[in-house]
Amino acid sequence: MTDAIYPQVRIVPERFLNPETVEKILNRIATTEGVRRILLRGQNIPPTVPHGPARGKPNPHPMKRTIQVCGQDVELQVHVGFIILELENRDPIPALREACDSVFTEFSYGLQEGRFMKSEATLSDYAKYGTEAEKDIIGMTDPRSKSGPIILQGVK
Amino acid sequence: MAYKPQYGPGSSKVAENRRKYMDPSHKLEKLRDATDEDIVLLMGHRAPGAAYPTAHPPLAEQQEPDCPIRKMVTPTDGAKAGDRVRYIQFTDSMFFAPSQPYERTYLECYRFRGIDPGTLSGRQIVECRERDLEKYAKELVNTELFDPARCGIRGATVHGHSLRLAEDGMMFDMLQRCILDKKAGVVKYVKNQIGEPLDKEVKVGKPMDDKWLKAHTTIFHSLGGVAYRDDAEYIEWVQRIHSLRTKYGFMPME
Repeated sequence: MTDAIYPQVRIVPERFLNPETVEKILNRIATTEGVRRILLRGQNIPPTVPHGPARGKPNPHPMKRTIQVCGQDVELQVHVGFIILELENRDPIPALREACDSVFTEFSYGLQEGRFMKSEATLSDYAKYGTEAEKDIIGMTDPRSKSGPIILQGVK
Repeated sequence: MAYKPQYGPGSSKVAENRRKYMDPSHKLEKLRDATDEDIVLLMGHRAPGAAYPTAHPPLAEQQEPDCPIRKMVTPTDGAKAGDRVRYIQFTDSMFFAPSQPYERTYLECYRFRGIDPGTLSGRQIVECRERDLEKYAKELVNTELFDPARCGIRGATVHGHSLRLAEDGMMFDMLQRCILDKKAGVVKYVKNQIGEPLDKEVKVGKPMDDKWLKAHTTIFHSLGGVAYRDDAEYIEWVQRIHSLRTKYGFMPME
C-alpha cells in the first residue's frame, strides 16, 4: 500500500515488453529525478508448470530473466505489461514522456495519471494475508514472498 | 425442397469468413506443411511411430449387439480400431486470429465425424479417437484456420487470448511453447501442448501479416477491425433470437 498523497503515473505500452526493452525504459525512469517507486505489473511467469500433466516440471521462459537497472540485478517475474510509478510531484512527467518516446519506437504507449497503487487493504487482502501482513507491500506484491522490494542505490 | 444450411447471418467480411469456414463444400486453403510426425509431437499423446494404444478390441473382433443405429452409422477409422480418445486444444488471440472457439466448434461439427468439442471463452478443445484426431489436427494446423503467432496449441495453461501481444507479435503464453525464430522468421514449437520440452523443434511456418489476418479473421473487433455493431444484419438476427427465446421462455404456447 502507499500513501495517497503522492501523484502516480501508469505507462501502458501497446505490446507486452521484452526484458531488453524493460531494461532500457527502467534505466531511463530510474535516473529521472523525482521518481519514488517503480512497480512492474504483468502476467506472471511461474518457475514451474502450474497445471496439467506436466505440473511441477521446470518452465524455461525467454521473458523471465535478470536485467540490470542502475547496475543492480532485477529478476523479472512477469511479462511486463504496465509500469506504475509513484512520483514526488508532477514535475518529472515530461521527462518520463520523453523517455517513453525514445524507447517505445516500434509501438505506441499511453501515459496515464491517476491512482494505481492500493492505499487500503481490502477484505480479500485480510482473508488472504491476515492482519499481520506487511502493509507497505500489500497491493504491490505478495506479502508472503521472501524477495522484498529492490532498492536502487545512488540514482540521485 | 432440400434443406440448405445458411451457416450464419451477417453482411460483413467477418460473417462471410465464418460461413466460409463452416461450409464443408469450401476447400480450406492449405498454407503450411506440418507432417504427421510434427502433429504427433505437438500433441504429445504417443511417441511418433509407436502403435496406437487401444481402449477396446477392434470392432471386427468383438460381438456387436443387434442395434439399428450401429447398422446405420459407419464407424470412423479410429472407432473401428478401438483407439483411445485423445484431444487437441487451441487458444486464439482476439487480435484477429483466423478462428475463435465457437467458430472452431461449428466448423468441426460440419466438417469432421466422431468428435466431441468443448467450447470455452478462451480455448476450444476437441476430443476424438486418436487416429481420427491426428487427421483432423493436421487439417486444423495446416490450413487457413491457423496462424502460428495468433493461435496456440495449448493443452493446459492456456491464458493469453485476451491479452496484448508480445513485441514480436506472438500471443502471451505462460509456458512459451512456441517461439519466433527471428532469423528465419518462422515460429517453432519447443514444447508440446502440455508444456513438456520436445526433443526436436517443430516448425509451423511464418506468422501471417496483419493484412492477411484482417482479411481472414472471424472475430469482430472495434479496434482496427470490423466492429460488431457495424454488421446490422448480424445484430438484427441476434436480437431476434434473444427476443424469441425470452418470449418463449415466458409463454411457451405462443
